[in-house]
Amino acid sequence: MFHWLEKRPFLFSVGVFLVIAFAGLIEIVPDFAQASRPVTGKKPYTVLQIAGRQVYIKDSCNACHSQLIRPFKSETDRYGPYSVSGEYAYDRPFLWGSKRTGPDLHRVGEYRTTDWHENHMWEPTSVVPGSIMPSYKHMFHQNADLETAFAEALTVKKVFNVPYDKPGMPKVGNSKSDFEAAKKEALEEAKKITADMKNQDVKDAVNRGEIPEIVALIAYMNSLH
Amino acid sequence: MQNAALEYDYSVAKWFTYLAIIFGIVGMVVGTYIAFELAFPELNNLFGQYGTFSRLRPIHTNVVAFGFTLSGTFATFYYVAQRVLKVSIAESKTVHGIAKLHFWLYLVLAAWMVVSELMGYTTSKEYAEMEWPLDVLTVVVWVLWGIAMFGLIGMRREKTLYISMWYYIATFLGVAMLYLFNNMEVPTYFVTGMGDWMHSVSMYAGTNDALVQWWYGHNAVAFVFTVPIIAIIYYYLPKESGQPVFSYKLSLLSFWGLMFVYLWAGSHHLIYSTVPDWMQTMGSIFSIVLILPSWGSAINMLLTMKGEWNQLKESPLIKFMVLASTFYMLSTLEGPIQSIKSVNALAHFTDWIPGHVHDGTLGWVAFMIIAATLHMAPRFYKREIYSKKLMEMQFWIQTTGIVLYFSSMWIAGITQGMMWRAVDQYGNLAYSFIDTVTVLHPYYTIRATGGLLFVIGLFMWAYNFVKTMQSDRVLEKEPAFASPMGA
Amino acid sequence: MEQIRELQAYGYFFFTVFLTVVLYAYIVHLYRAEKKGTRNYEKYGKLALDDELHRAPVEPNEDEDEMKENKEKK
Repeated sequence: MFHWLEKRPFLFSVGVFLVIAFAGLIEIVPDFAQASRPVTGKKPYTVLQIAGRQVYIKDSCNACHSQLIRPFKSETDRYGPYSVSGEYAYDRPFLWGSKRTGPDLHRVGEYRTTDWHENHMWEPTSVVPGSIMPSYKHMFHQNADLETAFAEALTVKKVFNVPYDKPGMPKVGNSKSDFEAAKKEALEEAKKITADMKNQDVKDAVNRGEIPEIVALIAYMNSLH
Repeated sequence: MQNAALEYDYSVAKWFTYLAIIFGIVGMVVGTYIAFELAFPELNNLFGQYGTFSRLRPIHTNVVAFGFTLSGTFATFYYVAQRVLKVSIAESKTVHGIAKLHFWLYLVLAAWMVVSELMGYTTSKEYAEMEWPLDVLTVVVWVLWGIAMFGLIGMRREKTLYISMWYYIATFLGVAMLYLFNNMEVPTYFVTGMGDWMHSVSMYAGTNDALVQWWYGHNAVAFVFTVPIIAIIYYYLPKESGQPVFSYKLSLLSFWGLMFVYLWAGSHHLIYSTVPDWMQTMGSIFSIVLILPSWGSAINMLLTMKGEWNQLKESPLIKFMVLASTFYMLSTLEGPIQSIKSVNALAHFTDWIPGHVHDGTLGWVAFMIIAATLHMAPRFYKREIYSKKLMEMQFWIQTTGIVLYFSSMWIAGITQGMMWRAVDQYGNLAYSFIDTVTVLHPYYTIRATGGLLFVIGLFMWAYNFVKTMQSDRVLEKEPAFASPMGA
Repeated sequence: MEQIRELQAYGYFFFTVFLTVVLYAYIVHLYRAEKKGTRNYEKYGKLALDDELHRAPVEPNEDEDEMKENKEKK
């Protein structure tokens, strides 16, 4: 029976494909509609927060930090309420991570402040003695890519119907020409963050109309609840 | 068609072998470097933003998986496929041309991958970090391999496909399916006309994205680190030892068993996450079932050596391969244990997981590829392997490295997992997070040392290989079984 | 939605049972075929060992036309 297959490479390949595709069909496809519903009150990320999220991804923070609080007392005591599916509805990609060399960050916005992040990203051991995290000084003088962040927001709005510009939701606009407005808004948001920061170069940059990576990253961190 | 001068053509197999050696060294030097960073964090800032653990980690995983392992897979494929099908790739100019194109495009892709990830272009999905233009090129490279594969099969003189060929075909199909689905992404530049053209967003969001990613992530392990390596061992161990495979029937059963079961186990990466409960349970159960077909292949290999165990003492190549199948058994037992829900609650997110991965990748994947390339060297160059002693030394140094690696990671992982959940007499958490980091320093140091030993072994491998190419002990004809080696 | 889930569950269950039966039937088939002597699977293990280009194949791959011709001759 099967030996017959080994002499017929084409049918053999079809057989292998059917067998390996079966698990995906059963396991993955059926639950798609259900799992992607956002929890009530969940808002999509602002353009500045997306820029920060892109910085988070660019420097692979997810290599050492998870964003998934499991339903155990030891985890909810340490990090806050356990994660539920609807909280991730706007996460493209998801950033659960697979390793906690550092602590979970899913609700880091609840208990860390802007100035804590500023000190920590500049020199981690200054706030956490014994920390083995690298310092990310380059984020203080390298600018975030706001255009790409805007492009991402616009893309998810257009392609996946993410509810931007709905009442009470962040604004993004409808086309390339809305970028200037979005940038203005992002700068306003950035100024609120730099008000709590002490690094003069960063403050100056924002006043010049630039957004250093660190500001975007902190905006994203503070949005994690 | 058939004439006396017709010979197997090893050109493409040779090129991929060189790449395997180069990428093996690059990938594992980076890996060892970032392992030392965990023990000595000052190292993070030696190269500005390009030297941090976080920036380098995707480069380590990608170069080792898609540079080293796939080069090894392709090298052995272009060698084994010709031989078990009894057809020379030089018989068809088209197939040979496609194989060459496959090599060159693959090289471009690999170089682009390293540069773009160093610059910070990543999708963040593990083992699928490459951004969309690279994904497109990956598809092209993969299709070229497929054409070369089925081209050779179409020309074959041997009617029945040998066991190794089943596994190569499965590698081709499995990776194609997984890669396509997990890398579905929308380039933002094409939708909006602005921003970075390399950037894209995932087609899936949140929990769905996680589900697809770990269906991929786990099975990328299956179809890059397991399936092609089984293809390799099913050819090289019997050939080097001169013993036919212990049971062809068992290999049939474990092949179909592995194909069916492996794909279900992906959700064990998501235990206690927000994916539906039944999927987590299914992942857990199927991971246990997976022991059967995995051990089926491994036992088949060990029994192939039946009555010939003296070879284990005499030949370092047999040592590499037998220890590889033993490590395969170890990691396919360890994985299912970690998939049991209560064990996973402790082990997930800890260093036990990278420890487990490295049992498989160092002990099984790297050892098999090293053994295969050294088996091929005398056939490539019609020369004896330069030094048996060097191979022996390499074997023991690397084995020591692996033992240091996984034992330290076991202790580190379990220590950390226990400390995260430890409570004092009032039920409060006993340790702050940083306590669970600083305690790991000695284990991180041991792990990095283990990695360093393994890398030293790689340099010995490269040296031995290059010396073989230049050796003056020329062979008159291709050796049939055991590879001849100089003292 | 509920109905789809139920179908999915039944589909999954019966397919798994079916595959299990197939697997066992296959094992029985393999060993019986060999016992009766209709087939010798283990000779295919030689594929890896006798892999010189000019050795005779374990089982030559004739193309369809040739096979037909051979049959007609018989």
